[in-house]
Amino acid sequence: MSFEKFLFYAFSAVLIFAAVMVITRRNPVHSALYLVLAFFASAGVWLLAEAEFLAIVLVLVYVGAVMVLFLFVVMMLDVDQAAMRAGFIKMLPVGILIGLLIAGEIFMVVGPGTFGLDQVAAPERLPADAQNTAVLGSLLYTVYMYPFEVAAVLLLVAIIAAIGLTHRRRGDATKYIDVAKQVSVRKGEDRVKLVDVPSEEKMELK
Amino acid sequence: MIALSDYLILAAILFSLSIVGIFINRKNVIILLMCIELMLLAVNINFIAFSHFLGDAVGQVFVFFILTVAAAEAAIGLAILVVLFRNRRTINVEELDSLAG
Amino acid sequence: MTFDPMHLIPVAPELFLLTAACAILVIDLFLKDEQREATYILAQIALIGTASLALLVGGGERQVVFSGSVIRDGMTDLLKASICVIAFGAFLYAKEYLKDRNLFKGEFYTLGMFAVIGMLIMVSAGDFLTVYLGLELLSLSLYALVAFDRESGRGSEAAMKYFVLGAIASGMLLYGISMIYGATGSISFAGIAEAIANDAVNNTIMVFGTVFVVIGLAFKFGAVPFHMWAPDVYDGAPTAVTMIIASAPKIAAVAMAIRILGEGLGGINADWQGMLVILAVLSMALGNVVAIAQSNIKRMLAYSTISHVGFIFLGLLAGSQSGYASAMFYAITYALTALGAFGIIILLSRKGFEADRLDDFRGLNQRSPWFAAMMLLLMFSMAGVPPTVGFFAKLFVLEAAIRVDLTWLAIVAVFFSVIGAFYYLRIVKLMYFDKPADSAPLQAGMDTQIALSVNGLAMLALGIYPAGLMAWCVAAVA
Repeated sequence: MSFEKFLFYAFSAVLIFAAVMVITRRNPVHSALYLVLAFFASAGVWLLAEAEFLAIVLVLVYVGAVMVLFLFVVMMLDVDQAAMRAGFIKMLPVGILIGLLIAGEIFMVVGPGTFGLDQVAAPERLPADAQNTAVLGSLLYTVYMYPFEVAAVLLLVAIIAAIGLTHRRRGDATKYIDVAKQVSVRKGEDRVKLVDVPSEEKMELK
Repeated sequence: MIALSDYLILAAILFSLSIVGIFINRKNVIILLMCIELMLLAVNINFIAFSHFLGDAVGQVFVFFILTVAAAEAAIGLAILVVLFRNRRTINVEELDSLAG
Repeated sequence: MTFDPMHLIPVAPELFLLTAACAILVIDLFLKDEQREATYILAQIALIGTASLALLVGGGERQVVFSGSVIRDGMTDLLKASICVIAFGAFLYAKEYLKDRNLFKGEFYTLGMFAVIGMLIMVSAGDFLTVYLGLELLSLSLYALVAFDRESGRGSEAAMKYFVLGAIASGMLLYGISMIYGATGSISFAGIAEAIANDAVNNTIMVFGTVFVVIGLAFKFGAVPFHMWAPDVYDGAPTAVTMIIASAPKIAAVAMAIRILGEGLGGINADWQGMLVILAVLSMALGNVVAIAQSNIKRMLAYSTISHVGFIFLGLLAGSQSGYASAMFYAITYALTALGAFGIIILLSRKGFEADRLDDFRGLNQRSPWFAAMMLLLMFSMAGVPPTVGFFAKLFVLEAAIRVDLTWLAIVAVFFSVIGAFYYLRIVKLMYFDKPADSAPLQAGMDTQIALSVNGLAMLALGIYPAGLMAWCVAAVA
């Protein structure tokens, strides 16, 4: 077994293990952390398939941003974990059956019979100075320029929707600092307020 | 050498695991969202494998966009989750029974 | 590839609407609550502008720009204009509803416009990537709109269901696309069609990918057995949002199906035809039968939509020019009918009262004979009673199915539409032969009243003269 093959199987094993853990953990925080592991392992698989840029993006964007968002929400919401478990065992056999059925079907279609090395030869390794990022970049900014712009609009919608749904305007209870008012304060009459305090009557000495 | 079928079978296992996850975690919306991420990961592995073996970078471009969309989708999904939690104080789908069906 | 500014002309409607939506988004920030009407007016102007631009840049030869990402042909001109008109109507009917419920905010219009942009992109997409991004743009905007009423637990619950099922559907669709890409080495519809024509593909993989693509499409259409989200979302969402979901996206979905199945996978028509037959029969059967048992009109209309989706599939599965034209005709007229029906529900509702039970329609004739007549026309059209347009829409798809020797399917369809007529006519009976349960007068602005009247009479006008729109649809697919 070549080293490359060993790496592939090692990453795949970690990936599948992590995926099983994601769907079976009781605690969503654990699930989220296993999902992070799954992303790292698949980044390794993608590197083997010479998709360097995407492998790095997966780690930076997914692990760095999306999963942090997940963890943030999980911890912000006080989730009742015991209630979540009810019915889990009941559905398990059905779930496993369906999973095996789907995996078996896909296996029959895409297995070594159709996509083995005999049918689809492994491509030549790209030279060491091949620029994956440059290839993707030139495709993105020329041929796929229109989808690229649409993706930008999509992100704008995500921003509008997320803010529109969760942002709560606070009422008058919150006090804000108004810099303009602070600056326009004049010396003397605005800063110091002279209050005429009536002097107390002399106490009579007894 | 790693065959194309190896990558595709890995993706297939991941895809079916995500479907199993959707089945057995029907009550826990957060884990459901994670299962959807797993499903997209399986699709991405498919695209990258085909792209590698076809010697055609278009598959990788597609993955780039799926990652973008999935990030946007996660943001909106979690926003809806937060709104739901504020209204209902639970994200247990079973308690969400005001809609019959 | 060099950039040619002329390439921007076919996408002018999208560009205009996007610019307008961004401008309105910013303008809205500076408006006070009592000036919110300005946002509404600007959004409506933007939609009219987009519809006219779509017709203005339209006509003539089919154009393919942006390296095949965008197609402009007769179909895009017609469908883009109809989507904008339907969205215009939806915004108009929604105004009073939103004001009464303290939801009259700028985000409704911005998200609505972004959903329209998504539909326009879907209609003119030339490859799987663009169609997917357009679909997601539409879906993400709709998810947010369903949860738009933040105080409503039902709304956010419906949004969550819609989101989870929608995301699973996207995953299925993408899995199918990845298989088709693997088999053909292309993601553009033209490239895929070419690969199939050259017989250079592994047929098993193609069919396998197509199954997942069809499942994804069925989810988005709301066809049985992937319809679970529809009744809950229709019921839980604010009626103004349900109206948007039930109308224009069906037109965009038909365009997406024609592009993917017709232009891309036309070569393996025999393989996907069988899948659509199953979906069509199940949708017509379950939609029509379950709708009878509903007492909530929004849920009833959800099941009715499911059954209409079955009819749209009937046109699509014929896989012929006339089939696509009839599916397009059906989708456009159905969107118009659904728009009117939800418009009437909104008309009956008022502050603190939703009018979403069938009983709320009791004795409508005594409260307002004119709008009872409009609702009568809309219900007749949904049931397919001549001379309303729904009759001809059904007739055209049945004709397309018979032409490809699926006479048994046409007979099944007629059978279920007869069952379906029952629950539409029940509303007519409630309106005309029952005593009103609530005698509060109907309140609506003059604009809503005129639009609803036009909408209702359009059912009759298009029914008496269906040839014009049908000729346009036939020309669009030619």
